Amino acid sequence: MSDQRDLSPRPSTSILGRPVENRRSFFAITAAVVTGSIAVLTPIGVGIAAFLTPLFRKSKSPEVRIALLDQVPDDGMPRYFPVVADREDAWTRYPAQRVGAVYLIRNAGEEKPTAFTAKCPHAGCFIGYTPGAKVFQCPCHTSAFKLNGERLNGDAEVAPRGMDTLPVSIRQAKTGDGTEIAEVWVEFIDFQTGHKEKIPTA
Amino acid sequence: MTKLFQSLGDWLDDRAGVRKLIHDSLYEPIPGGARWRYVWGSTLVMAFMTQLITGVFLWMAYSPSTQTAWESVFYIQYEMNGGWLLRGIHHFMAQAMVVLLAIHFLQVVWDGAYRAPRELNFILGLVLMLIVLGLALTGYLLPWDQKGYWATSVGTNLASQAPVIGPDVKKLAVGGSEYGHQTLTRFFALHAGVLPGALMAFLVLHIALFRRHGLHARKPDPTKDAMFWPDQVLKDSIAALAVLTVVLLLTIYFGGAELTAPADPANPYDAARPEWYFLFLFQFLKWFPGELEVWGAFIIPGLIMAVLFLMPWIGRTRTGHLINIAMLFLLLGGAAALTAQAIHEDYFAAWNSKEEILKADDPVLAARYEASERFLNAKAEAHREADRVIELAESPERIPPTGALSLMYDDPLLQGPRLFAQNCASCHNYVDPSKPAEEQPHAIVNAAPTAPNLFGVGSEAWAAGILNPEKIASAHYFGYEGSPFVEGDMVSYVTESLGADVDDEQRAKAKEAFAKVAEALEAEAALPTAPKTNEERQNRIAEGRELIAGGLSEMLESGMSCTDCHKFHDAGDLGTAPDLTGYMSREWLLAFVRNPAGERFYGDNNDRMPAFGPHDNPQLNQLDDKSLGLIVDWLRGDWVRVSEPVE
Repeated sequence: MSDQRDLSPRPSTSILGRPVENRRSFFAITAAVVTGSIAVLTPIGVGIAAFLTPLFRKSKSPEVRIALLDQVPDDGMPRYFPVVADREDAWTRYPAQRVGAVYLIRNAGEEKPTAFTAKCPHAGCFIGYTPGAKVFQCPCHTSAFKLNGERLNGDAEVAPRGMDTLPVSIRQAKTGDGTEIAEVWVEFIDFQTGHKEKIPTA
Repeated sequence: MTKLFQSLGDWLDDRAGVRKLIHDSLYEPIPGGARWRYVWGSTLVMAFMTQLITGVFLWMAYSPSTQTAWESVFYIQYEMNGGWLLRGIHHFMAQAMVVLLAIHFLQVVWDGAYRAPRELNFILGLVLMLIVLGLALTGYLLPWDQKGYWATSVGTNLASQAPVIGPDVKKLAVGGSEYGHQTLTRFFALHAGVLPGALMAFLVLHIALFRRHGLHARKPDPTKDAMFWPDQVLKDSIAALAVLTVVLLLTIYFGGAELTAPADPANPYDAARPEWYFLFLFQFLKWFPGELEVWGAFIIPGLIMAVLFLMPWIGRTRTGHLINIAMLFLLLGGAAALTAQAIHEDYFAAWNSKEEILKADDPVLAARYEASERFLNAKAEAHREADRVIELAESPERIPPTGALSLMYDDPLLQGPRLFAQNCASCHNYVDPSKPAEEQPHAIVNAAPTAPNLFGVGSEAWAAGILNPEKIASAHYFGYEGSPFVEGDMVSYVTESLGADVDDEQRAKAKEAFAKVAEALEAEAALPTAPKTNEERQNRIAEGRELIAGGLSEMLESGMSCTDCHKFHDAGDLGTAPDLTGYMSREWLLAFVRNPAGERFYGDNNDRMPAFGPHDNPQLNQLDDKSLGLIVDWLRGDWVRVSEPVE
């Protein structure tokens, strides 16, 4: 394919030998570029605006009732609870969905349990726990955490920080016969993965 | 006829110049003649065409939303004519494309075909490679099954760690802060629109430049020069057919592409792994702890990509060219080693015996074994789940409008064991006592139970166990650690009725009577798995009922029958022992688990079983009504049965 094409510049100032005024051609060029650009860029801009919608949506962290305090004895063993909250996904609203999971641990003598979200701070997998074990383990990149949430191997662990704690509050509810029952509530915050610091995603 | 074609050809040629077009595309000179080693680029084009064709047909059946994505892929896979074949070809051809890309790339570098004037075309080729990898990545999510969902979510979480723009990039790709409808619509638009469009545009440029520069032949023999048509086309076509054959064989061998259980955001998949060709990246990340991850995920791969783009310039000298080749083999070798390592780690438990690992007493090995065991268990569990959902979806019940996930959530067979493990297994066992536990993959074993074994609860065999002196005092019933019942009235009643002091004739009579009682109790439970009743059985059940309601007292030396302690329909009173009316029926069990210390059940004699749902307000209960129902239904074997006959 070595055909040498004629690459010499076309005479832009004359058409069929008729000279064209330079000033007029300047206006014509400018007008053509501007109108053409508007015609092309408008739909692109509108499209991009719609595409960027997620960046302008703020999500709220729900306060969720996790369990009765009785379900978390103060024996220092983690207990797994699903987090059930209403969830919205674009046009669908899911009432009472499992949106995640937490581990509640209450050490001897402690009033309030500590809540760890089960989402791994490394890449967001679900951290597992086998009842009786002394560590939490993530199945994906084998991060391991002590029962207090610290990384088992410190900075040598793939996870950049320990397990994320969530704010816990104890609320009193009344049963049918009027006795009070303590409930564990948690603010279910979603944190960004992969950073040393806890940064909420919302 | 030929004349008609001739004139039609002339007409087209006049207006569109088709003859020259065809001539130009077919009569490309090939220095040194047609060779097998030139087929790789063409096979890639053929593979892409296959993807385009199968992809468009898949598109005609696919629906991207969280309630319809898995469901429509299920329909393609299991209900449409040859749908499994269509999806299988698309799936395996995608993998073939990655392999062909690697071969094509390797050959170009090996031959030094990137040198001037072909640098630009080499770069176009790299761009095409990135687009193909992008197609592979976006396609993996579309079935919205557990495998694709969790593997891709790990990927997008990694993307969010990119410096500065990471979080926003993730939000835009995912269409929000969480996976959902918008993730599917976006990934699908990328997979079926943006990326194939870009691929076609770059492919046109790539081929145009290839034609402009001509084929890069090593040591061409001018005496053998030939044209593209027909010799090379024949070789290309044979190669394309060979690739297709391999893809078809793979599809048939594996029965098409896998479809795991529907994506469940609340139920993590512990065996989430990317496709095999991305496995090396996955493994590579394990080398970068903590915040060093940026190096493993972005900086090093970015630098490697940059070096690849610079290859034509590095390779200008002979040394540079050799460096390129060395680098490429190093990269491929490294990727192969990482892939092997990833597979070795995942299947470690399958390839090593537990005893030997424990004997070695090496915590690293033990941890690796454990991690691998979890991976393999998760895989097996996911298979079981997928089989079950597919079975349900194929049944006349079909998939509800809320999607296949609600099929899973409402199925006692899937949810029962999970809820049991969470709420009941710290005290109860669920093991068939007639078989060793190792032979029961679905057994839930508690080595030190503090409550009866609930396997087969309500069945004749289970009830017969209570009425057997050895069994009732065993850990499967009331003989568990610290049981107050082991020396209670029930155990002594059964032991005395059939014990050593009883003469043989009396024992045989009592045994016969207890067998009828067990059958009558099973009838109370009304299990869906109960054997079909016939007249003989009906009679035995009727006799058993009479024995419970007082008949036993006349034939046993103790002079007592069930209703001396238990209530049974109109006979006996509540307050001393659990009600036997509707014993282990759904209603009975539900009420029991809600509050075992109720008057109808153990009352003050309740050992340590918590009340899981004593309150009318479900918010105050440990277990919600739905979970209670699922546990009870599962214990009673009450789930939709499709393929297996009722035993």
